[in-house]
Amino acid sequence: MKKTILFLSLVTITGNIMAQKVTTTSAVVSFDATTPKDALPKAENKTVIASFDKTTGAIAFEAAVNNFAFSNPKIQEHFNAATWMNSASFPKFTFTGTVDKINKVKFKKDGTYKVNVTGTLTVKGIAKPISAPATVTVAGGVISATSTFSIKLKDYSITGAPIEAGKVAEKPTITVTASFN
Amino acid sequence: MGNTTNKTGILQWLHLLFGAGLLISFFLPWVSWKEFPVSGSAIATGDFFTTSVAVSGPENPFPKLDFSFYIFWLIPLLAAISVTFVVLKKKVVPIAFIAGALSLALVTVYFLFTNTLAIDFSIGNNVWGMLKISAYIHALCAAVLIITAFPVKTLVPKIIWLLLGPVLAYGAYKFGEKQVMAETFTTTDKVKADFTIAATDLIKEFIGNDTATNKKYLDKTLVVNGDASAVEMLADSTSTIKFADSTGSYVIFSLEKDQLNRVKNIKAGDPVSLKGVCSGSIFSEILGTTSISFKRAILNLK
Repeated sequence: MKKTILFLSLVTITGNIMAQKVTTTSAVVSFDATTPKDALPKAENKTVIASFDKTTGAIAFEAAVNNFAFSNPKIQEHFNAATWMNSASFPKFTFTGTVDKINKVKFKKDGTYKVNVTGTLTVKGIAKPISAPATVTVAGGVISATSTFSIKLKDYSITGAPIEAGKVAEKPTITVTASFN
Repeated sequence: MGNTTNKTGILQWLHLLFGAGLLISFFLPWVSWKEFPVSGSAIATGDFFTTSVAVSGPENPFPKLDFSFYIFWLIPLLAAISVTFVVLKKKVVPIAFIAGALSLALVTVYFLFTNTLAIDFSIGNNVWGMLKISAYIHALCAAVLIITAFPVKTLVPKIIWLLLGPVLAYGAYKFGEKQVMAETFTTTDKVKADFTIAATDLIKEFIGNDTATNKKYLDKTLVVNGDASAVEMLADSTSTIKFADSTGSYVIFSLEKDQLNRVKNIKAGDPVSLKGVCSGSIFSEILGTTSISFKRAILNLK
């Protein structure tokens, strides 16, 4: 009997710990490097993997570089080429970080919270610290998080004539949106 | 009278010299793309776009017009005829005009295309550093060939012929560039599938050998059949449908906005057939599973 109670307690505790971490495979990351000279370099990836720990505030994203969908075939080809994102050698972008002041977010009650996320963004194998404001929304048990920030392409060794010629923004805007059920 | 004869003689000698220069420089390297020399004749031989592809540049965007590049063989041919006519003291107009205008048009195309490689494809730093001395010599020879063409003595027709090639070439290039940049992907329903496969078999194939399988399916259009394990509606009226195996590895399709009404009727467990463009696989550190993603997907049939 004691063993059964102990087993059930362990299952409950493990279940609670697991329940603190939520994941999705349908987070959206959009990338906008348009300039007045060129409206084409922008794309979205809607199959981004994300996880969020409600207790610690740990948050992570993984996006397949090849799944960024552009409207123009040539631009998509350039984006994945060895001279740009080199998706053959670096097939994903990753982010691992933490949502600050996570204890202020009430996950059992609907509400919107302005938070800050700090962490490390890895693009083309180069990891750089990043910090960005984000919004966490709790509505009907669904947790949504969204953040918009920009990165310097130069920081990730992405340089070249298209940037110098003003056809690709030096600091593209990245928007991340994720809903965790 | 004596001065006029001398002047004509000098012009004929110049015509002869620069005509020969035009002929020879056509076969010399005009540009260098990543250390690959590209001669003026490469456009007529077909090596121009072969080299472009070899350095990760664009293919010929209008392959149906390939035959039109043979026209540039006229440059050495007309240059040779023009030089011969000078020796035979025959009129070189309009042969020299056509040879010169074609040459200047071709130099313009090489300049613009190399600039595109530098700016859009990051091949080389800038067009000026990639142009070879032969391209300048060819342009100079073409200009002198037009200026020294006889018996036309007035400048106006010569100026028109000098500008004709570059202006037409620039216009045609910019028109072609605009067409390429305005191009969008063919909608997936109009694309014939390269492969049809069961979702579980696809996952197995990727897990078995991800390098070979990525190479096989990347950017190919696939029809994938299976039982949906999850259906998600996104905030922008698009959706995703997922097929997962028993290990948690999965195939996920990002569906086009116009599919929403049909996707609304699908729920987890339903048999689904999806068509999309394969973006390959990644191993997810977050989930500890393989993720295979598809873009521009549509519902094939339910």
